[in-house]
Amino acid sequence: MGLLNQRFENGNVLLTSVDDVLAWGRLSSLWAMQFGLACCAIEMMATGASHYDLDRFGTFFRSSPRQADVMIVAGTVTLKMASRIKTLYDQMAEPRYVLSMGSCANCGGPYWEHGYHVLKGVDRVIPVDVYVPGCPPRPEALMEGLLKLKEKIRKERLILKQTA
Amino acid sequence: MLTEYGRVLIFILVGAGIGAISMVFAWLLRPHRPYPSKNAIYECGESPLGDTRIRFNIRFYVIALVFLIFDVEVVFLFPWAVVYSALGWFAFFEMLVFLAILLVGYAYVWKRGDLEWDKPAPNIPRYERGIGVRETPLTEEELVA
Amino acid sequence: MIAQELYDLLKTTFSDGILEAKLDGVIDPWVSVAPDRILDVARFLRDDERTQFDLLTLLSGVDMTKGTLAAVYHLYSMKRNHKIVLKTFVPETHPHVQSVASIWRTADWQEREAFDMYGMIFDGHPDLRRILMPDDWDGHPLRKDYQVPEFYNGMKVPY
Repeated sequence: MGLLNQRFENGNVLLTSVDDVLAWGRLSSLWAMQFGLACCAIEMMATGASHYDLDRFGTFFRSSPRQADVMIVAGTVTLKMASRIKTLYDQMAEPRYVLSMGSCANCGGPYWEHGYHVLKGVDRVIPVDVYVPGCPPRPEALMEGLLKLKEKIRKERLILKQTA
Repeated sequence: MLTEYGRVLIFILVGAGIGAISMVFAWLLRPHRPYPSKNAIYECGESPLGDTRIRFNIRFYVIALVFLIFDVEVVFLFPWAVVYSALGWFAFFEMLVFLAILLVGYAYVWKRGDLEWDKPAPNIPRYERGIGVRETPLTEEELVA
Repeated sequence: MIAQELYDLLKTTFSDGILEAKLDGVIDPWVSVAPDRILDVARFLRDDERTQFDLLTLLSGVDMTKGTLAAVYHLYSMKRNHKIVLKTFVPETHPHVQSVASIWRTADWQEREAFDMYGMIFDGHPDLRRILMPDDWDGHPLRKDYQVPEFYNGMKVPY
């Protein structure tokens, strides 16, 4: 029941080391939920392929939100899809993260002005941890986004209470 | 000092213990924050509809049954193979009789077509293949001829 | 058959259904059909030996402004290698057109798209409902006088 989760307030060297190990374990194997919606999905596939391998970061794509740590929202989010994204984010198990890839997922992208069917940024429905700009972002940019997410996870505390 | 069975028992206990300890640690450390939307049934983001009880093909049952029979046969072969060198010719011919009986069963299952996964139905073309498509399908006489 | 011959053939067969034509434009000579005769014209064009239009390549809606909607049908004959464009004009207050889904199956979804985007109602369509927008969307987006809604299901739509 998560008895040790977020329990201790004062840290000592033992607990912080354990927390570091746990954070390292979590960030080293971030299983991504493949959520390729549009053109950014092609770049996400290219990043996962052999030239810009994502598997060396411990990331490979799972289809189900139940088995995933990070949801990479790659592509244009339409209003029809937004309710499904909310449901799928809810069905991910904690600790969970969201990486918004591409201009459309960040802020609506090229459809910001006239897109009647586009949700202007996926952060209107789910909380986002890392934004990766680009249209589409190059594979190196997506990798940098994932590495930034790993930096963010490294600062998280699992056993000690999370401070800001 | 330990018997053969004792060694197997230690093996089982250590294996189960490692799995159990890791699962207990994970249970202590992970966050547990359920809410109704999280516990909903996964159906690619949609609301789940339809029953989970589906009808599946009876071929699965037939394949499992045939497998079970021949698996039990192999189970009987193993101890015989282990002590074979201590037994004489009589044991050899006795096992041959056993295998022959099961071979009759195998031939029956094979002939009946139960080892095939698909039972293909013949595909009669209704349209002539060519550069253009026929206006009307071939009639029965033209098909047979 | 070139466009002029097709137009003459249609005019002799359906004298009251064919309204006007523009055969000398830069592209796509088109023939205008009355909206309640489009089904007969379509069936004739598909079945007749001289025309044999067996492929509907495009069915789309147009908002002509001034309260008129149009449905545009691009037909192509694979056997005879000729094409023609049919247009029907309907008033926005009563946008009913006969459905050609029973003649060319591809019209099924294309008519659903024209209904979704323009609000053109196709009589006789087997399953006329929205195809691109969500099912509970208000309005028909590609009309010229469409206003983007402020909120949809709690999500803010404009930027």
